[in-house]
Amino acid sequence: MTTVTPLWEFVDISKAYPGVLANDKVNIKLLPGSIHGLLGENGCGKSTMIKTLSGVQQPDSGQIKHNGQPVLIADPQVARNFGIATVFQEFSIVPTLSVGENIFLGNMPQSRFGVINWAKVRNDAARVLAEMDVDVSPDVITGTLSVGEQQLVEIAKAIAMDARMIILDEPTAALGEDEIDRLHQLLRNMRSRGTAILYVSHRLDEVERIVDEVTILRNGSVVRASGETKIDVSEIISAMVGGDIGEHYPKEQNTTENVVLEAKGLATKSGVSDASLTLHQGEVLGLGGVLGSGRTEIARALFGTDELTAGQITLKGNPVKFCREIDAIHAGLALVPENRKYDGLFFNFRAGGNITAASLGGLSRFGIMNLKVEEQATRDLIHDLEISSQAEEKTVNFLSGGNQQKIVIARWLFSDSDILILDEPTQGIDIGAKVAVYKLINKLTRAGKSIILISSDHDELLAMSDRIAIVQHGAIVRTVNAAELTHSDLVRASGETSHIKPQEVLA
Amino acid sequence: MKRIFDAQLIGPFAAMLIVAVIVALTTERFLNPGNLSNLSLQVSIVALIAIGSTIVIFAAGIDLSSGSMIALLTMILAQMLKFMGLPLALAVPLILVVGGLLGLFIGLITAYGRIPSFITTLAGLIAFRGLALTFNNGSPIFSLDPALEPIFYGKVVGIPLPFFYLVFFYAIAAFAMNYTKLGREIYAVGGNPAAAVLTGINVRKVQTTTFVIAGFMTAVGAVLMSARLNSGSPNYGQTLELQAIAAAVVGGASLAGGRGNILATLMGAMTIVIVQNGLNLNAAPSSVQNIVLGLIILLAVGIDMWRAEISGLMGRLFGRSSSDTKKGS
Ligand SMILES: Nc1ncnc2c1ncn2[C@@H]1O[C@H](COP(=O)(O)OP(=O)(O)OP(=O)(O)O)[C@@H](O)[C@H]1O
Ligand SMILES: [Mg+2]
Repeated sequence: MTTVTPLWEFVDISKAYPGVLANDKVNIKLLPGSIHGLLGENGCGKSTMIKTLSGVQQPDSGQIKHNGQPVLIADPQVARNFGIATVFQEFSIVPTLSVGENIFLGNMPQSRFGVINWAKVRNDAARVLAEMDVDVSPDVITGTLSVGEQQLVEIAKAIAMDARMIILDEPTAALGEDEIDRLHQLLRNMRSRGTAILYVSHRLDEVERIVDEVTILRNGSVVRASGETKIDVSEIISAMVGGDIGEHYPKEQNTTENVVLEAKGLATKSGVSDASLTLHQGEVLGLGGVLGSGRTEIARALFGTDELTAGQITLKGNPVKFCREIDAIHAGLALVPENRKYDGLFFNFRAGGNITAASLGGLSRFGIMNLKVEEQATRDLIHDLEISSQAEEKTVNFLSGGNQQKIVIARWLFSDSDILILDEPTQGIDIGAKVAVYKLINKLTRAGKSIILISSDHDELLAMSDRIAIVQHGAIVRTVNAAELTHSDLVRASGETSHIKPQEVLA
Repeated sequence: MKRIFDAQLIGPFAAMLIVAVIVALTTERFLNPGNLSNLSLQVSIVALIAIGSTIVIFAAGIDLSSGSMIALLTMILAQMLKFMGLPLALAVPLILVVGGLLGLFIGLITAYGRIPSFITTLAGLIAFRGLALTFNNGSPIFSLDPALEPIFYGKVVGIPLPFFYLVFFYAIAAFAMNYTKLGREIYAVGGNPAAAVLTGINVRKVQTTTFVIAGFMTAVGAVLMSARLNSGSPNYGQTLELQAIAAAVVGGASLAGGRGNILATLMGAMTIVIVQNGLNLNAAPSSVQNIVLGLIILLAVGIDMWRAEISGLMGRLFGRSSSDTKKGS
């Protein structure tokens, strides 16, 4: 294995940001025909390494070698010329452009006179999407797609480059199991053609399935180089966190007989067709389904964001009608949205402003805010939820994904909501933070609060829910006890409409 | 107080000082007490209007209409004083209400009509000046009221009144932005409107409110403008909206919304006025003044954008060792 010259190699690369040494003399060897997992907790420096290799930033010290020769990757164009394609953690698609334009952005097929060859753009984009088994037309405006589909376009962009080095920074955070399977198949095909692949994900079960070797980072340094760890979830976890995290899914049963929320026959213009559910006090009700099945839309319907065209919501026996979010909030509902970056966080605020945003009325008298209460409550919640203490002083864009997610949840703890809708609450956060979120769920249900949990991670959904409602095409088709369901039941039940085609997609 | 005087003030304050020192070095007349008090008169109108422009910017909007609105409001005030015979004590409050209503009108169209504020206020920029021309056949109205001038030229304990207006309005604005629910909501809406919606903030109402504030502050500026010249004219206030926005930007307000300190806008306005004053004292032609103003805006935004690079460069120049940087997080 060591006889192969690495395609790319990092030698003692360091990179500091103001106040943080994000990479501390890291070394990594990326071999052709190998899928290399890059793992570690939020903020350990994975994306920093990727940005360096993609020419987005320059390292402070150290060397990058290409086929054994030191090279300078001055900017992203240079990286691209070296055959490096990167799917960044932050979306880099342009929402107002079509899917085809996005796929070839910066790389447009042109005729001799510099005129864009639109027919080729469309055909090639359609071919790449077909290879990926993605059912999206190249002509659709990308911004109108769901988060998961946008992520697939992002990946298509890298694949269209036919690169020799593919870097994927959490490509699966927004994907369902089905899409993940298809992505894995695609990556295996590329591997067999000698492509080097660097793969980052916080979903360790899928990492275990796909990678050939792993490098584990902690606090900016490599703690396990390739070959030093077995590719096994529990070993990886203990190397990542430097200890034991205890039970992965510490589920508590706190459900009672009291019905707190009942929805009958909900429908909206956004695609909810027939959603009925009951939620008990202290219960975690999971919503299971494939990408685009309408789980997020059901959440929005419950929260008053999307107008109901049919159906009735009843809270503790009283029929209610939410015209706006604020009505739902006053009635004790809370929504932690799927995409914390898009509509969850205020990046211009520190933890305090984010935590109190939904409770400004209660925090003020005659329009004047009680900042002492805000400060104290923020400090308490930061302490209780084990959020980084930096959150008090720094705006939240400087925090890791896990800390950000806890802050969004903390907002609804502060507002003292009774019913929390958590849409993909563990997306993109590390294993330790995930367990922290699970414990938080327990703490909430123990206090008599109820939770609607949406998750594309089937294991998590099965483990943390009391009951699971299966969503297909915007309708809840049935609700079953989580204990009676297995992983494959859930896949089958939610994905009856989907397709798994284990064909040689890139052959 | 820690909240109001935060680190965001350091840059604009330093810029103001540097500019003042440079101007003071080029001409000794700059530090004359007469010139300094003249300076506070000069800065007052643009700095008061800039309060509104900045608050609109905090909520991720832009107000291009204030300069034309000033012209319209001075004409309405002149009309009330000269031809309708209203007493000053009634006309001034009325004009403040009219300013607020014009702002409300723009705000409603922007927020509820879902038209970008750049467009609605651009329309205002054009239409308000047109409206101003419909009064008195488009001619200025002079010699309004002998009691008007002291509003601008009056002094208390030797300090010009406009100085007190500045202190008064900036104190209120700073308090509102840092200690009230409304202030917080304005920053939230500017920071992330989608998140604001999900936290139950009435985004449209907040956006509308910022334009009401802007209209009101423009009316305050209009009263001072009328008092200063004892007249109303459809030609007043040209490019004043741009100077007010420039003051906000030089003060470090982010045009993307959600970030900035209102007191920094005062410093931005002072910086601009000091530069103009320096050029005046050195008898520079007005063409040069405009070129310099353009450069200041570029420089201010540039320094803001390149802050990371600059601090990195400083670190390398002055040998920041890596032990200064904390490890991990
Ligand atoms: N542009 C930046 N300016 C300042 N600090 C930064 C910047 N980008 C990242 N950091 C900090 O550098 C450290 C490493 O961040 P990085 O994004 O590489 O983590 P990561 O391993 O990708 O985490 P995650 O799993 O959450 O994506 C963190 O402490 C982060 O807060
Ligand atoms: Mg990352």
